[in-house]
Order: sequence, then C-alpha cells, then structure tokens
Amino acid sequence: MLDQTNLPPVADGDEVSQLRARVDTLSSLIEVSIIVNSTLDLDEVINLVMEKAQSVMKAEASAVMLLNEETGYLEWQVALGEVGQQVQETIRLKIGEGIAGWVAQTGEPVIVPDAQKDPRFANRVDKQTGFVTKSILAVPLKVKEKVIGIAEVINRVDGKAFNDDDLHLFSTFGRQVALAIENARMHKFMLEQQKFEQQLEAARIIQESFLPQKAPTDKFSRFRVAGKSIAASSIGGDFFDYIEIDESTVGLVTGDVAGKGIPAALFMARLVSDFRFQTQIEQDPAQILHTINNLLVDRTRRGMFVTLQYLLLDSLAGKVKSANAGHLPLIKLCRKSGQSEILVSENSAPLGILQNMQFSCQAIQLEPGDMLICVTDGIIEAKNKRGKLFSMERLASLLNRKWDGPDQVVNEVIANVNEFARGVAQHDDLTVTALQWVRC
Amino acid sequence: MIEVSVQDVGNAKVLSITGDVDLYSSPEVRKELMALTDQKVKNILVDLNKVSYMDSSGVATLVEGLQQIGKYKGKLALFGLHSVVKEVFELSRLDKVFDIYPDQDSALEKLS
Repeated sequence: MLDQTNLPPVADGDEVSQLRARVDTLSSLIEVSIIVNSTLDLDEVINLVMEKAQSVMKAEASAVMLLNEETGYLEWQVALGEVGQQVQETIRLKIGEGIAGWVAQTGEPVIVPDAQKDPRFANRVDKQTGFVTKSILAVPLKVKEKVIGIAEVINRVDGKAFNDDDLHLFSTFGRQVALAIENARMHKFMLEQQKFEQQLEAARIIQESFLPQKAPTDKFSRFRVAGKSIAASSIGGDFFDYIEIDESTVGLVTGDVAGKGIPAALFMARLVSDFRFQTQIEQDPAQILHTINNLLVDRTRRGMFVTLQYLLLDSLAGKVKSANAGHLPLIKLCRKSGQSEILVSENSAPLGILQNMQFSCQAIQLEPGDMLICVTDGIIEAKNKRGKLFSMERLASLLNRKWDGPDQVVNEVIANVNEFARGVAQHDDLTVTALQWVRC
Repeated sequence: MIEVSVQDVGNAKVLSITGDVDLYSSPEVRKELMALTDQKVKNILVDLNKVSYMDSSGVATLVEGLQQIGKYKGKLALFGLHSVVKEVFELSRLDKVFDIYPDQDSALEKLS
C-alpha cells in the first residue's frame, strides 16, 4: 500500500509544476508497488525498485545493503551508479561503520548534507573508488520493527543536499524494498518447506518398502506373528521385521529410528539388513543388540539412534528371550484369563549412541495361546482432540479380553488409536506387532 | 519460532533454548551446538527450562552433541527439563546416557 501521508506536500507557488511533480512521484510509487507484486526474484525486484528510486530522487548513486546477522556485516544487495560494481566487489561495512552502518545500528533514517564533514562517514569507500560522496540520504529497511538492512541514495544531481521531502519520499521506497525482501524470503522459505515435504514422502516410500509384506507361516502351526505400521508424514521411522531362524525358532524385531527424512530411512534400511545378517550368526538377543549397537555408533550421522525390542521364540517350548534397547515395555496377553499385563523389565539405552553398552536378556515363559504385544511410542502418544494421550494404560485395558490371534490384535489396536485420535493429524508412526505361541 | 543463545557461566558454555524443539526447529539448535563442539568447548550445559516439547529429531540433535563432545573427552549435561521432556528421556532410557540435572547450579557443581 502506498502511504500518502509521507508524500511531499504541495507547496504554494507554481501549483501546476508542483502538481505535476506530485503526479510523477505517485506514478513512480504505483510502478514500484506493481514491481514489488510482480516478481519474487529478489535481485530483480530490488534492482528495478532502486533504479526507479534513483531516478525519482534524482541521485547519482544508490544502494541497498542487507544485514547478515551471523557476521554482523552489511552485504551489498544492489549498488547502482558509476562505481556500483566496484563497490560491491571490494568493500564491506561492519554494522556501526559509516553512515550505512550507523543507520543499520540505530534503525533511524539520516540526511547527511556534507558527508566529508560527518565523523560517521567511512571515507575509505571514496578512497578506494575515486568517487566523491557529497550528500547521503539513508533509511533503515525494517520488517516488523526489526532492521534487516538499509537503502541509500547518494549525491543529488543538482548538487544540493537532500531535504525532508526527499526523506519522506525515500522512506516510502524503503518500505517497498523491505516488503519485497520479506515476500521473497517467505517465498524461499515456502519452497524449502515444499522440498522438505517431498523428501519426507520419498523417505516414507523407502521406509515402507523395507517392511515385510507378509508374516512367515509355520507349517506346524506352533506360532503366529503379525505386524502393522502406519507411517506419519512428519516425524517417524518405525519398522518391524520377522526373522526366521529355523523351523521352530522365529524372531520379531520392532523399532523406531529417531530422525526423519531420507537419511533416517536409509539408516533404518541398513539396520534391517544388519539385523537379519546378525541373527543368522548369533542367537543371544542381548549379544545381537551389543553387536548392532557398535555397528550403528560407528556409522551414525546427525545423532540418529534407534529404540528396539527383539523377541526370539522357541516354539518347541514356548520360551521367549527378549532384549530391549530403550523401547516401550512388552504387554503379555494371557489366553486363559484374557488379562493383559505390562512386563516391566530391564531396559537399556537406545542403540547407536555410545559404544560398548551392555544389554540384558529376559526369559519369558508363555502358556499355549499367550501373546506378546509390542508397540512404538506413536501408539501411546497419539492425542485426541482434547490433547489427551492414548497411554500405555489405555492400551493395556483395551487388550484386556480374549483375542482370536495376532492379526486381530494389531488391526484392532491401530483402528482403536485412529478412532481415539479422529480429527487430529497423525504426528508419529503407529506400529503394533504381536507374537503368539500356539502350542508345542 | 525457536531462539538459541550461548553464554559463559563458570567453566562452561550454557546453550539456552527457548521454544519447541522439533523437526523444523532442531537444525537451529544443531547449528549452535555444533559450533561449540567444533571449537572443542570442554563443558557444555543445555538449558531446557524454556522447552515445553521436544520430538525425536530434537533428541537426536542432543545425541549428536553428546557423540561429538565424547570424541574430545568433553562433557555435555542437560538441566531444567520439564516433565513432558523428562518423560521423553526416561521412556527411551536416554537418562542412561545423558547427565541430567534439575538446575544450572547443580549441573555446574558437578562439572567442577
């Protein structure tokens, strides 16, 4: 929007020429407004605005400098005039240095009638370029009251110093430049977000492609396993896998990689493959976790780690060995009583953080028909519309009944969580796995 | 939006975080934390008093800091964890790998 209150007032005297000047100024400002709204290319828009500003202000040179908050330097965005190119290539101003630096530091506009006599003036710019700076008009560029840079015009072509009318007019240009910068930055931010979302989608596809398509079948019907994982669009990294050791021994691993995006998906893919390999050469779950942990610490990037629960069922005896690395506790479902029980056991830190962590192995004796359920934190941390968490207790209570088998459990738990969190965006992956010992 | 600042306190650098640490804001925390570990700062304390939520990408950032500081035998400790954030650490047994203190004074005392 154009701020007409800042336009130069129409003075008495030659009213026609004054009015004409005012119409010219308004036309320029309308043009500037059109330029600002026509393109999101920051360089292009600022160049066009400053060319217009320099011509309307009837100045020899003009510049826009943006503040780099990290370095504390003002960086040239545009420098127009006969030495503009040279200035951009050779000169850097620290915040507080020179007239531009003073404006950036104080956030105040300034008219300098005779730069050579002003102690704030950095005359090394003139010395290096041979340009002679006489008068300067500089205004801060502000977004939400924060100084993001400065715009300045140098030397009126008629040789006079800049005046208050010039200041009002140039301030309007300054506001347009700041708006253009803000628009371009917002656009860039949105493009980056979009790119990020696309990466997350690619990662989700990688992640899902590593999940097992179907559960192993046991020709003796001694055990049944099932798993289901629903990926969220933002954070996540859940996975599970079935590991067939031999005819009577089956493993079930359930995990959650901290981190998201393609690196986390690749981390998970390698982990699944390492796990399959390691379970073929070692049997003890605690030892497997120890080995995998050291492998992961060696190659982890950006602090990625994984919480993981590994179950190994000997289906000839109904014995389960379990090892837990920072993962949620198991829930045991007793076939006979229909009761669920949270199995609080020894739990170690997640995998991939520190070398040579110790992991312990728990032994669980099942009765025929008993099941062990493992979930990831997306299940118990799912929120409903009132912000209430699904919770471990609610899960245990939901499971407190007799079930047909693992498939029914995983499907109903996921459906129940979805129902609970209806109308709330899924924030994290949801994963449920179940292992049932049927009989000897 | 998140704000991250660094101050010298005693023999440590205190990295104070204000805001939720999630997938979108954790890169800012990472930048400041890695700047400290790149300089091989011996003692780093992370002030989480003004963090009411942290997701796994935030935790991963702190884990990376812990791994980096471990390479040059420095120390990284956390203090001022809100109950929700504390739960995240306890649930995943990350309290086994991080030194966690109730406040800055107790963290500094332990470092000295």
